[in-house]
Amino acid sequence: MQYEFEEILETIKMTEIEHFDIRTVTLGISLRDCFDRNIEVTKQKIYEKILKYGKNHVKYAEEVEAQYGVSIANKRVSITPAAIPFDALKADEFVEVAKVLDKAAAEIGIDFLAGYSALVQKGFTNGDRELIKSIPYALAETKRVCSSVNVASTNAGINMDAINMMAQVIKDTAEKTKDDGSIGCAKLVVYCNVPEDNPFVAGAFHGISEPEVVLNVGISGPGVVFEAIKAAGNVDLQQLAEVIKKTTFKITRAGELMGRMVAKKHGIPFGIVDVSLAPTPAEGDSIADILMAMGLADVGAPGTTAALAMLNDNVKKGGLMASTSVGGMSGAFIPVSEDQGMIRAVENGNLCIERLEAMTAVCSVGLDMIAVPGDISVSTIAGIIADECAIGFINNKTTAVRMIPVYGKTVGESVDYGGLLGKAPIMSVRDIGSSVFVGRGGRIPAPTRSLTN
Amino acid sequence: MRITEEEIRKITLNAIAELGDRANPGIVKEVVSKTVANLESSTSIPDVISDSGKVILTSFGLNHPGIVAGITSALSETKCDIKDISQKIMSEFYTMIMILDITSSPKSLKEIQEKLNNVAAELHVKVYLQHEDLFRSMHRI
Repeated sequence: MQYEFEEILETIKMTEIEHFDIRTVTLGISLRDCFDRNIEVTKQKIYEKILKYGKNHVKYAEEVEAQYGVSIANKRVSITPAAIPFDALKADEFVEVAKVLDKAAAEIGIDFLAGYSALVQKGFTNGDRELIKSIPYALAETKRVCSSVNVASTNAGINMDAINMMAQVIKDTAEKTKDDGSIGCAKLVVYCNVPEDNPFVAGAFHGISEPEVVLNVGISGPGVVFEAIKAAGNVDLQQLAEVIKKTTFKITRAGELMGRMVAKKHGIPFGIVDVSLAPTPAEGDSIADILMAMGLADVGAPGTTAALAMLNDNVKKGGLMASTSVGGMSGAFIPVSEDQGMIRAVENGNLCIERLEAMTAVCSVGLDMIAVPGDISVSTIAGIIADECAIGFINNKTTAVRMIPVYGKTVGESVDYGGLLGKAPIMSVRDIGSSVFVGRGGRIPAPTRSLTN
Repeated sequence: MRITEEEIRKITLNAIAELGDRANPGIVKEVVSKTVANLESSTSIPDVISDSGKVILTSFGLNHPGIVAGITSALSETKCDIKDISQKIMSEFYTMIMILDITSSPKSLKEIQEKLNNVAAELHVKVYLQHEDLFRSMHRI
C-alpha cells in the first residue's frame, strides 16, 4: 500500500480524538479603495467589497473541510486597519463604519471580522485619534467587529500616550458592555510589534503591504502535541523536542494544504500559515496540559517558563520545515479563559499575572483573555500594557494585552462567555500605583536593538 | 447581478473604445452586453479539481459479518474504483483502509461521503473518506 496503515490511522486519530483542527481560515480584504467624501457611499463601498470577496468564504471552507475530513473551526475576515483608509472620518462616523462591517460579517455568515484598528506606535493622525475614541462605542454597538491598536514597536519605541488612551478605552469598553460581562474587551487587543498577516482574530488585520485580497490560515492542535508527548513517555528533553517538531510538522502541512485549497477555490493568493498552538476551552485542547505532560505539577510551577520556551521554539522549528509561508504570530498562545488547564491553575492559586508576564517573554502574544477586577485603575492597566510592550520591543517580538476589567466583579468571581471565549476567573492585580510613571506620557525611545544596520 | 463602480467604469471605457463616433442604441446595447458577459466569466471562480482523484477510506469498529460487503457494494453503486485494500483485526475490533479512485464516479466526493455515512450508520461502524493529498502532505516530505 502507498501509505502505511499506521500513518493513516495516526491522521484519523488526530482529527477524531485529539481535536486536531484548522483553527481559522481568514480572508484578508483591502479596504483602501473604499473611501468616499460621502459617508453613505463609503459604507456602501465597504459593504459591497466585503460581500464581493467574502460571500462564498464559509461555503468554500466547508467544502475543503469535507474533502479532507479535517474541521476548520473558524472562518473569518480581516480588513485594512480602518484608521488608514478612513482617516478623514470623525468618531461617530467610525461607529457607522463599524456597524456596516458588522452587517457585512453577518451577511456572509461569519462570527468575527477584525481590523477596526490603528497603528500608532510613533504617533497619531487625526483619524487614529478619532478611531480610538470610537472603539468603546463601536464594540458596544456591534457583535462581530474586533479591534486592535498597535502602541509600540522595536523600531519606534513605546507610545505611552497611546497606552494611556487605550487603558481608558479598555475601561470604557468594559463599562459599556457591562451587561454581557464586559465582553467588548474580549474583542480588543493592544499590541507591540503587531504582525500584519496574523489570521487570528481578535487581533487580525489586513496589513498595508498585503495584496488586494489574501487567504491566511492559522493552525491549531494542542491536543495532538499533548497526546504525542504523553505517548513519548520518559524521554530526555532533546528527544521530547523531536517529538514536538515532528508533530507540528504534520499539522502545519495539513494546515497549509487546506489553506491553499480554500485560496484556490476563492481564486485568490494564499498568504501565510500561522504555526500556532491555539487552545480551546474543550477538554484536552490545552497548552497547560502540554506543559503538565512535559513534567510540571501545574502551570506556574518553577520551570514553567523554560518548558513553554522549549515548546514554543520547537513548534516553530517543525512548522518552518513544513511550510515556506510561515508568518503571523507563530508560537504557542496562552489565553487564560480559553484553556481549561490555565483556568484550573488560576483557580488553584498557582498562576498569577506576573508569572504569565514572564511566560509571554518566550511565547507568542501576551496577556491574553485575562479577567481582572472591574475597579482596577486606568493607570494600572496602562502600567501592565507598558510592561508587555517593554518585553516585546526589547526582544523584537510581538506582545499584546487583551485584558477584561469585568465591571462589578472582583477576585474570587468569574465570568463565563461560553463558546470559544470560555470562562475567565478574575485574577488579582497588584494595584500599587504607577500613575506618575505612565502619566509622564511621551514615548519610550526605540531600543538599541532597533539599530541593526 | 450587482455591478461595482469599477466595473461600470470598465464597461464605459470598453464602450468608448468600440464605438468612437458611430454610436447608436443598437450598438451600445451589443457592446454593453458583451462586456458584461466577459466580466462574469473573468470573475467566476475556477473549478478546483485536484490532480489525483484518489481518496482514502478508513473504517473501523466492532467486527461483524457483512461490513466489507456493505461498504464495497456502496462503492460499486457509485462506480468508485478500489485501488488497494488492507484490513487488520485486533480481538473484536477491525480496521480497514482502502485507496479509492473516484475519477470515474459520476458522484462528487461529498455525495459518496453521504452515501457511505448512511451505510456506516446501518452497519454501526465508522467510515471516513478523505482526499489522498492530506495524507501525502502529512506523511511524505
